[in-house]
Amino acid sequence: MQKILLIARSEYLRRVRSKTFILTTALAPLLMFAVIALPVALAVLSEDDSVRRVAVVDETGRLAEPLINLLPSSYAVLVVNEPIDSLRSQVLDGRLNGFFVLPQGLLNGTADAIFYGSGGGGLSQQMALQGALRDAVRRQRIRDLGAGEEVLALLDERASLDLVTISEEGDAADGAVISSILGYMLGMLIYVAVLIYGVMVMRGVIEEKSTRIVEVIASSARPYQLMMGKVFGIGAVGLTQLVGWSLLMMVVSSLAGPLMALALSPDISNMPNGMTSGELPIDPATLAAVLSPGLMISFVGFFLGGYLLFSALFAAVGSAVEQESDAQTLQLPVMMPIVLPIFFMPYIIEQPDAQLSVFLSLFPFSSPTMMTVRMAVTSVPVWQVLLSFVFLALGFVVMIWLAARIYRVGILMYGKKATLRDLWRWARTA
Amino acid sequence: MPLLQVDHVTKRYSKVTAVDDVSFVAQPGRIFGLLGPNGAGKTSTIRMITYITVPDTGQILLGGEPVGPDTQPRMGYLPEERGLYRKLKVGEQLVYLARLKGMPRAHAEKAVVHWLDRFDASDWYGKKVEALSKGMQQKVQFIATVIHDPELVILDEPFSGLDPINAELLQNVVAELRDSGRTVLFASHRMEQVEQICDDICLIADGRVILSGPIREIKRQFGANTVTLVFDGPDSWLDALAAKQTISILSRTTGYATARLLHETSPRDVLDAALGAVQNVTHFELHEPPLDEIFRMAVSGKGMPAGLEAA
Repeated sequence: MQKILLIARSEYLRRVRSKTFILTTALAPLLMFAVIALPVALAVLSEDDSVRRVAVVDETGRLAEPLINLLPSSYAVLVVNEPIDSLRSQVLDGRLNGFFVLPQGLLNGTADAIFYGSGGGGLSQQMALQGALRDAVRRQRIRDLGAGEEVLALLDERASLDLVTISEEGDAADGAVISSILGYMLGMLIYVAVLIYGVMVMRGVIEEKSTRIVEVIASSARPYQLMMGKVFGIGAVGLTQLVGWSLLMMVVSSLAGPLMALALSPDISNMPNGMTSGELPIDPATLAAVLSPGLMISFVGFFLGGYLLFSALFAAVGSAVEQESDAQTLQLPVMMPIVLPIFFMPYIIEQPDAQLSVFLSLFPFSSPTMMTVRMAVTSVPVWQVLLSFVFLALGFVVMIWLAARIYRVGILMYGKKATLRDLWRWARTA
Repeated sequence: MPLLQVDHVTKRYSKVTAVDDVSFVAQPGRIFGLLGPNGAGKTSTIRMITYITVPDTGQILLGGEPVGPDTQPRMGYLPEERGLYRKLKVGEQLVYLARLKGMPRAHAEKAVVHWLDRFDASDWYGKKVEALSKGMQQKVQFIATVIHDPELVILDEPFSGLDPINAELLQNVVAELRDSGRTVLFASHRMEQVEQICDDICLIADGRVILSGPIREIKRQFGANTVTLVFDGPDSWLDALAAKQTISILSRTTGYATARLLHETSPRDVLDAALGAVQNVTHFELHEPPLDEIFRMAVSGKGMPAGLEAA
């Protein structure tokens, strides 16, 4: 045990002190933030500095004014009565960004409005134009039926739906949207983490083998100790990185919230009609309800369990090859059980209590991702979580045992490329 | 009492018998040479001594105790294929390897400083291994082998890749280890080196021991049947002698030849032939066959002196 710790410590320090580790730990959250924030920032910036000049040819004679009121303030609207060809040439030579043609039959639904534009502007422009026109037409139709302004005011009244989930622990605000998102994120996170650190173990084993240091170590410690030391050491690297990321994410997101609000504030008034802050998908209270301590503890537990199970197998694969490119085919049987459950994630999120979902969340090769997803989207009975952990523990004990048998032979094998059949033979030799 | 006893050890890998009923002993204060061509079973044997693998049959004792995890700290092993962690600093690496051998940290650090000093390499302590030349890495690896002051030092081709100055330095250190009572097991197929430094040898080929004992004794049994000449002039007379089956040429370069006397040829016959053909003979010596010749004879089974054939 002392040797395993000594090896784990060396493996851990060697990686944690490397520039790559420090950079990836520090930069990944920033990169993620940039991926989210940059498009928003760009959209805000690009919207602010350009005034869109738009003409309206209103054959109904009643829609132009409400349309002007409903379009965002960045649109400069001219009501014109010019032939389409003349307007078209104005669009082509850049004096206009586009023009509406509102035909006579638009109000009774026998004809469609048309917007001629120069293209570009993207989804946000299309939504703004469509929303403004739809509201203008609806309001005019209601007005035509003789409704007064107070009736029209009713259209702006809020009417939101609160979803409540009933469970044995009591009623709670339903977080269907947020728990699905969270389920996906946590599931993917475990999947990615097991893969990243599993491959890191494999690389470490290959490096020791190809630099031949493994023979020196094997004359000082048992192969099993070397393998476990490496697995534990890199597991600790993984935990450190995950903790580092979550801390950084917290800092970044606490800074990002106000920043985003600041950037967006001039546009809040221009949000799609009828969408109010109460209906935004992310509400701190629901987030807290879904992200319970139980889920967080299980998340760490399942990450570690899944990591132990798969990293031992990655170590076995690494021991059989001398360079990473040779590992491809041998890696396949190890990668498959990690990758396959990902395809079941949508199903599990839709039907977390179906038999297949329960099975996948108990089966040790898929449980790390699948049980985490299930726990995020539904309330899983405690006995199932515990049973899943027991199976996972049995799974990794068996896999570590098997991997160690392959490893101790593999690390000394040079020359010919090993096949899966060879690995199996090594596992069986005394 | 021998420190290391290898006792009827056999090791098979699937269908290949890598080590076949090998026995030998290595004594403290002596350098033991384990010799054989590539693939003879040297590395397989060493791996069993260092408890990296275990024999199928037979046993290996270190100081009377069967080898196992407990004997590993008492040995140092320099494998033929060298390797270090490339990204790790020299000092840290050596301390780590010493601690794996069970040395407490403080002792390990002191020993690292001492040994780097001994090899004139004190300023390498904070350097990454990848920044060192091959020869420098080799020295670091040698230090890793002896840092924990093992009773048995196993060196597999320790001189390959070293320049003459460093090779001599290493040779001196090995001699010091012997003189301080350590047992040195030296594996090689470079016979001239073995001849220079080993006290005892064990020749193996195809996994079997074909010859073993103190090197002086073995050579004496072969007797002084080899001549070496240094001369100025043509060397076609050598071919003439060889064609008459009176000598067998072991090695020759311009103005230099070593030949074994065949049948009843006397050294004088060779000297006469030479003097009759060349301008000048500057050196003439009658001696025992060089080790590589003994090795060749032992492997082929031809020309062995009576009494050694059975071995």
